[in-house]
Amino acid sequence: MPHISLGFLLFTALSAAVFYAVPKRRRWIVLLVFSIAYYLAAGPALILFLLFVAATTFFGALLAEQKKKGAVPAVLVLNFGLLAILKYTNFFISNLNRIPGVSIAEMRLLLPLGISFYMFQATGYLLDVHWERTRAEHGFFRYLLFVSFFPQILQGPIGRFGRLSETLYAGADFDPDNLRRAALRIAYGYFKKIVIADNAAVWVNYIFDPSRNTGSRMGIAGVLLYGVQLYMDFSGGIDIAAGIAHLFGVRLDENFRQPYFATSITDFWHRWHITLGTWMKDYLFYPLSLSGRIGRFGKWCRKHLPKQAGRALPIALCNIIVFLAVGVWHGAAWHFILYGLYSGVIIGISGLLAPQYRKWKSALHIDDKSRSWHLFQIFRTFVLISISWFLDRSDTVRQALILLKNSFAGPFFSLGLPFDGNVLKAAVRFGTVLFGCALVFGVSLKKEQGVPVMERLLAKPAALRIALLLFFLLSYGLFGDNTAFGGFMYANF
Amino acid sequence: MDDLLAILSDIAPDVDFEHETGLVDDGILDSFAILSLVGELEDTYDIRITPKELIPVNFNSAEAIFALVERLRNA
Repeated sequence: MPHISLGFLLFTALSAAVFYAVPKRRRWIVLLVFSIAYYLAAGPALILFLLFVAATTFFGALLAEQKKKGAVPAVLVLNFGLLAILKYTNFFISNLNRIPGVSIAEMRLLLPLGISFYMFQATGYLLDVHWERTRAEHGFFRYLLFVSFFPQILQGPIGRFGRLSETLYAGADFDPDNLRRAALRIAYGYFKKIVIADNAAVWVNYIFDPSRNTGSRMGIAGVLLYGVQLYMDFSGGIDIAAGIAHLFGVRLDENFRQPYFATSITDFWHRWHITLGTWMKDYLFYPLSLSGRIGRFGKWCRKHLPKQAGRALPIALCNIIVFLAVGVWHGAAWHFILYGLYSGVIIGISGLLAPQYRKWKSALHIDDKSRSWHLFQIFRTFVLISISWFLDRSDTVRQALILLKNSFAGPFFSLGLPFDGNVLKAAVRFGTVLFGCALVFGVSLKKEQGVPVMERLLAKPAALRIALLLFFLLSYGLFGDNTAFGGFMYANF
Repeated sequence: MDDLLAILSDIAPDVDFEHETGLVDDGILDSFAILSLVGELEDTYDIRITPKELIPVNFNSAEAIFALVERLRNA
């Protein structure tokens, strides 16, 4: 069921109506029934994977609670083995086929809707119980709701049981404030997605089309627009999910915090896809860094290398491994793997050179707190992240490198315009993206300055909020475009 | 406690460890700094820190870190 459809909106409205019609203590059952119905609508066979992940992690957590050894590793191997088979088999086959004389037919494998998201969420729960950070849920159907809650199953955010369970099972009382919050957030999310992301996508698809000439400085425009498209698409989808959750009084974790205001790559990953970043930190980076082998390597480094290098090298190595995992998570392709490694290597090197940076800054009399330095850091991070988008968006590493190279050396505007030279249509599309970006930038700037934008809006007269909603509604019809992408970009993970 | 403050100052020289109480929650120590600290604590106090202990409440202040070290030394 596409999130951008009348059917989905009716489904959501019906779920909210039924939710508030039943007694408080049974409201979580309504959420479960609608969540399962949502998933069944996507394809009845796919629910088997969801049930498999839910059942294995549920019983694994019960065994972990009883301190039964071996349960947690067994569940991890089962689940990630399944994910690896579904997601990476054809990647391995295609690489094996590059060997002369090898020819293996690729397999037809289904990638169940949102599998990475619910598997990561369920794994986080299992490890939290294992490390005694949260209690184990003893009701299977209650747990199944945690894994399958429909607003977030498509593209996250990846929730934590400890926080999500506080509101998920509470059966919130009807509160008009929740409804207002939901309406504004959902409308804003659709604006980001339909009006900005999908219009930017038309340009991006045109510029990154491998069949077209990639020898053009339009690559710069392409990658800037891709940065816009990706952020608006993903964060818009999260706004919609969070807004729908608000309808039921459920609070989801925030997944974005003005990422393009980041002052370093590390800071960027603290602001972009936050729930994946914290998941990777808590369940991969920390355990890996504290594992026996890395621990012994760390001790050796601290003993034999200069102090800072000895301290930082094992951590930098783990960082690179974690970002490699982030790259692999994004997709089974070399350009995604390089995309992950790119951030990992930058963060690793930054960690190793941190004391040097301090010395250089001191020698150059750079004031860390000055506005100009802060703006420089934002600009530097934006450039570095934009370079990584070449790897993320291109279909191959080769295409990414050609586009990157030509962006600085090729001729200007050799591509022409999308839509067969229809200048007016292309200009309106471009203007829409620019206007939308200006609006989102304004909101983001306020939030970055600590202004609680939503609370301010809720305190304004109802007429203003209605006007805002009408503006959004009108903009979908007048300027919206869904010819580029039907669904959300992150729904394919 | 003085040894611990010396280690902390060495890792993050600009931080007022005697008074800060939100080292992790307020983003003063990032994961790189925390893991550097863990390595130093393990070497200095001959303790083993596991992922289970890597939660903000154990690292939010010098006192909390000191309490963690004491607990692991006595375990």
